[in-house]
Parts: sequence; C-alpha cells; structure tokens
Amino acid sequence: MGRLAEEMLQKSVEALREQDMDLAEWVISHKTKIAKMDYNIEKKALHLLTLYQPMASDMREIACILKMITYLARIGRYAKDIANITLEFKDQPHVKKLVSVPYMSQIVCGMIDDALKAFETGDLSTIKDFSERDDDVDELRYSIFRECLTYMMEDQKVITRCTHYILVARYLERCADHACKMAEKIHYMVLGEHIEIDSSTTKRKR
Amino acid sequence: MAKEKNIKMDVQHLNLWYDTKQALKDVSMPILENKVTAIIGPSGCGKSTLIRCLNRMNDIIDKCRVKGSVMMDGRDIYGKNADVVELRKKVGMVFQKPNPFPKTIYENIAYAPRIHGIRNKKTLDAIVEKCLRDAVLWDEVHDRLDTSAMGLSGGQQQRLCIARALSIEPEVILMDEPCSALDPIATAKIEDLIRVLVKKYTVAIVTHNMQQAARVSDYTAYMYLGKMIEYGKTKQIFERPQEELTENYITGRFG
Repeated sequence: MGRLAEEMLQKSVEALREQDMDLAEWVISHKTKIAKMDYNIEKKALHLLTLYQPMASDMREIACILKMITYLARIGRYAKDIANITLEFKDQPHVKKLVSVPYMSQIVCGMIDDALKAFETGDLSTIKDFSERDDDVDELRYSIFRECLTYMMEDQKVITRCTHYILVARYLERCADHACKMAEKIHYMVLGEHIEIDSSTTKRKR
Repeated sequence: MAKEKNIKMDVQHLNLWYDTKQALKDVSMPILENKVTAIIGPSGCGKSTLIRCLNRMNDIIDKCRVKGSVMMDGRDIYGKNADVVELRKKVGMVFQKPNPFPKTIYENIAYAPRIHGIRNKKTLDAIVEKCLRDAVLWDEVHDRLDTSAMGLSGGQQQRLCIARALSIEPEVILMDEPCSALDPIATAKIEDLIRVLVKKYTVAIVTHNMQQAARVSDYTAYMYLGKMIEYGKTKQIFERPQEELTENYITGRFG
C-alpha cells in the first residue's frame, strides 16, 4: 500500500508537470484500490488484535500499521487531488516551467520511500533527518506561495492556474507531514519510544 | 516529585535446591508495598517455588535447602532467629485450587483468629464481617454464615479463601495461580478484588496467564529455568521488554 501511495503521488506531480492527461487518469483510477487496501489491512489488523492479543513488538507493529494505513490513504487522496488539478490544465499551458513543485515532490516521495524502508528493515537511520527535510518542504511551499502571488498581481489571467499551484504545494506539504507522522510511529514500533518530529527538532515525548 | 516506593519484601540472591536439583538460581527482586507484583514464566521456571519462599512454605518439603535471604521489615525471614509462625501471620497465601475448610463459612474465617487467641464472640463476628466485606463476598453469604463452605461455587470458595487469608491481618498476600480453576466471570471478580485489596495490602501473584498479569499487576517479573530474567513495570515489560528471552515468551515465540 505504501509503494502504491508513493507511486500515485510521484506520478500525479509528473502528470502535472508534463500535462499528461493519461497519467493523471491512471492516478485517479487507483483511488479505489488504495482505499480498499486501507480497509483490508485494517480489518486484518483488528482480527489479529482480537484473536491473538499481541504483546510487545508484535503489539507495537500492529499499532504502527493501523496508523500508517491512515496516513498512506491520505497521501493517495492528495495524489488524486493533484491529478484532478492536472485535468483542469487540459487546455492551458503552465504559467512557466514547473521547477519548485517537482523538486518538492522529489523530497516528499523520498521521505515516503525512506519511511517505508525503515518500516521494512527496522533500520531507523533512513528517517533520522526527517525534521530537516520537512523544514525544506515547508520553505518550498512558502516560496511557491510568494512566487505565485507575484505572478497573480502582475497578470490577472494567471490567477486560476497559480491558485492551483498553491494548492498543489499545500498538498505536498501535508504529505511530508504525514511522512513525518509515519516516521514517528515506525520509531515507536522499533524502539518502543514516543518521539515528535517537529520543525527542526526531534523531541522525545514523556 | 516521584512518590517514594517502599520495598515490603526484598529477595536477595536466593538459591533453592530440591535435594540435588537447583530450582532457584541467584534470584533477586523487590516486592513493593501496596503494589501488585506478578511473576510469570513457563512451567517449571521456579515461580511457584519462589512465591512459596516468601512465607517459607518450602520448609515443609523434605530435602529442601535454601541459600540467600529475603528481607522483610529490616530482618531476614530466613535468619537464625526468624519466627516462622509470625511470618505466616504477616504473609498470607491463596492457592490455585480453592481449599476452604470443610466447616461453616463463619468458622473458615474465625478459625485462625481463634487460634491466635481471640475468643470474644463480638470481636470474631466483626472480624468475619470485615473479611467477607473486604473479599467482596459479604452480600452473597451474610444470611447463611452457618452453612457449609463447601456449598459455595468455585469463585465464591476462592473469595472465601481470600477472606480467610485476610482474617489475621496480613501485610502481604501471596497468590499462586488463584484463577486457574475458575471460569472467566469468577476470574474477573477476583481480578477486580485484587485491585481493591492492593490499596491496603501488598500482593504478589504467580500466573501463567499473561493477559491477567498485564491487567492486574503494577510490576512483573519474568522467570526462566530458575533465574530471574527481567523485572520491571508491567507496562514496560509488555510494551517493550529489554531481554530477548522475555520478548520471546511474551510474544509466544517459544513454548
């Protein structure tokens, strides 16, 4: 499910950049699949809880999974929203060549990928620098916002498209937040310790 | 500031042999006051042996040898001048199979205080009522105290045994798999009772039911092959055990 969410997000931004309608349709068509995975994994996890009363590392793994599927489903949903925006650009070119948005997407998809790696291997080194990467994503969102404001003030004709870019940046920033939340849960799964990944500091929760 | 936790009984480097077989190997752990301490582990790990050391029940076993100490109130219960009768007054025990005396409900509870010298009927009446109330049994039996204890259900008999253990005002209550012979509802009542009792007494419970240990206890000790593998707060032991052996047992990966 994680790999699908990552793929949907990555493809949605690629579709936007290239104005590839088919690719956007691909993303939208996978919305049902990812929702189904959310439902099925949750059902299985609850089944395990009921019948086996998992303890210690088993319990922590199930707890992590239950949270992760929610975050991944949301990421899939944002990918679908971005793909829908791509379809809005059917008859118009981009205001200028998209650079910041694809770069943001690259960082975010990297975070999702590293979180999934940590989940699969139990190696937490891949999620060590998440708060720094999250900071970068926040900075990019802000700079895209300011850039778009400038264009919108100069030329009314770009307002619709620039508003879309601002939304896409916002969605990508939320996906990075979800990746951070996943990393927190994965950390708990491996070490049994609650942490908070938040603006340049990783704090240990009491 | 963290509340001071008192150690009621302190097991220190305890070793025990049944003839030539060593059943306890250098076991050390505290039993904290007004807390429930659970001892878990696979069959034969020594948990029942350990708990029977706390009131020296192992003394009656032939060829049983003990080395090490168990401190209580500043004195070693295995010390030279230790008063075993006094110890068994302070440290009561409840067993796996309910074993009420084949007497009336009233007599079951009045027996021990009478032996210790209390003869006044009014005092004994008060003791019987108090113990039955503390064991959450009074409402069910107060109108038939003169009937035989053997007529009670399994769960009621076990609560009677708990009331009996309370009759001489112990400080510590030991329980060796107290719910093994009971159905789930009776078990739940006993577990609730344990949480109430611990406000006044110190409780140590041996159980092979891990969920019960997790539900009922504040601290848990895991034993394996006569050794104390890990001791800690129950939440920590079941959420994130430190020792691999503990983790394997708790997650059911062996045995």
